This record gives sequence, C-alpha cells and structure tokens, in this order.
Amino acid sequence: MHIPDGFLTYSVCAITYVGAFIFWIFAFRRAKQVLSDRQVPLMATLTAMFFAAQMMNYPIIGGTTAHLLGGPILAITLGPYAGLISMTIILLIQALLFGDGGITTLGANVWNMGVIGVFIPYLVYLAAVKATRNSRGMFAGAFFGAFIGDLLAAVFAGLELGFSVIFPYSVAIAVTAMALPHSLIGVGEGIVTVAIIRFLLSVRPDLLQLPKVAPNWLGESPSVLPKVGGS
Amino acid sequence: MIRDRRIILVGMVVSIIFVVAGCAWLSFSSEKLDEIAEHFGAQESPIWTPPIPDYEIPGLEGNIVVNIALGIFFTLVVLGVVLMVGKGLRAGSKKEA
Repeated sequence: MHIPDGFLTYSVCAITYVGAFIFWIFAFRRAKQVLSDRQVPLMATLTAMFFAAQMMNYPIIGGTTAHLLGGPILAITLGPYAGLISMTIILLIQALLFGDGGITTLGANVWNMGVIGVFIPYLVYLAAVKATRNSRGMFAGAFFGAFIGDLLAAVFAGLELGFSVIFPYSVAIAVTAMALPHSLIGVGEGIVTVAIIRFLLSVRPDLLQLPKVAPNWLGESPSVLPKVGGS
Repeated sequence: MIRDRRIILVGMVVSIIFVVAGCAWLSFSSEKLDEIAEHFGAQESPIWTPPIPDYEIPGLEGNIVVNIALGIFFTLVVLGVVLMVGKGLRAGSKKEA
C-alpha cells in the first residue's frame, strides 16, 4: 500500500500532506498528555514489531501480495495519537532508508496508514466497547476495527490514485482494485490484533486501560477491562 | 521494569520471526498497486536515492543471511528511535506540567 514517488499528482500530494500535518500537530500535542511512562516500552516494541511485520508479504489473490499495517493494535493499546506517531516513524524510515513509499507521497501514505489506518480502528473499537462493555465486544471491536481500518486505508489509496492523472482509469476502478485485495489482509490484521490483545490481557491488562488514552473529543470513555470470556 | 522487559523481549522474538519469515519465505512482493502501475506503464520517479533500496544492500541482493541481519538491525533501530521519541514526549509533558 506504500505509494511511491511519481504515482500521485502534486495537488493530491499537497492535500494529503496538509491533512497529515494537521493530524501530526494534534498527535504530538495530545500524545504528550495521554502517553504514560509505562506505555513507552510498549509503543517502541509494537512499532518495531510492525516495522518487521511489514517486511512480510502474504500471497493473496491473483498472484498479488499484501502486508499487515499494524495501525489497529497501535491505536488500541497506545491511543490514536501515539499510534499515528508510531506509524509515521515506520513510514519515514521505510521511505528514507529503503525507498518503500515515496517522499512526495509520504503525506498520502501517512494519511492512509497512519490516520485512517489508526483512527478508524480506534473509533470502531471504542464504539464496540462502549456498546457492549464485555470481552466479546472488545474482541469484536478489535477485529472489525482492524478490518474496516485496513479496508478504508486501501479505499483512500485508491481515491488518491484515481484522482491522479497518471493512471488513466476511473476513481471507481482504482478504489475497487485497491479495496478488494486489502479486504483479505484486513481479516488477517483483525486476527493478529485480537491475538495481541488476548496476550496483553493475560500479561499486562493495565496496558489496555482505554480511559488513559482516549482523546477528549470522544467524550468520557468507559472503564473497559472486562474479564476475558465474560459476556 | 521486569514486566516491561518481558514485553520488549517477547516483541523482539516475534519481530525476529517476522524478519526471518519475511526474508526467507514471504519476500516476494507484487502488490496490487505495482500490478496496476505495470499494466498502465506507470513508472516510479523517486526524488531520493535510498541507501538500502528494497531492503537489500546493493551488491548483496538475494543474500538471505545479510537480509535477515539487516532486518533485525533496523528493527532494533526502530525500537531505539521510538523509545527515544516516547521518552522525549514524556519529558516534554513533565516539563509542561
């Protein structure tokens, strides 16, 4: 999903950079307030883990491949602001050192994988936890949040490509072409996200305390840490 | 502190498994985006020459051992960078308070 230099027109690059920049400002300001000392090692570990995970390309359909994003678990455990900072660090290192994703398209890649791929799973997870207040809702929210986050990140990548004149095909075709394969990787992302949450619940349940990480504009968050297996 | 070390240790073991699997078995990349671009004859036009293009050291392409070592090294670099950024954010927060 990493868009390289040359695939997007400059206007699309500029718009996505502006969008990403606005979120960066909020992320750095808010992450300072909501990130706790105990979350820093987890933030570093998960960021490194998903940097490594993005090196693995899974065969999907029609001979194509895709990789996990990592945004959902970063969002759920660290909150969306620290999650965005983590994804930005991954994307910046990938672009500068490995040429995986472009420099002119960094704003678009951050928007797709760091903003959409982080904030959407967080919102879905939060809504599910608020609505159910039990572990089933927690796991369902994590799974569907990850799935929808990956899918929408691909949809946005398709929109950006569709609105760029370099590819002579319609927005609808571009979005469909990107969304279909990434819906499959979204299922994998959901499974991995739930697995990590289950692991953290067993060893460090304190790291899943949403009230510590929820942004103010979402309102007061419920105290979520249902017993695993409870309903 | 011990529990933090356990999290980091488990995370690094999983990361190494990802790197080894990524370099040895799951390194073939043909994303839909690349496929579409190839179909329309679109080409990348990089404005920056990365020192390690496509996660491989120039001249040592295809060497799995080197690629695994590189993957593990940069995973540790990312770990270190994010630890520093995280601690920097916390320090900034304490200063503001």
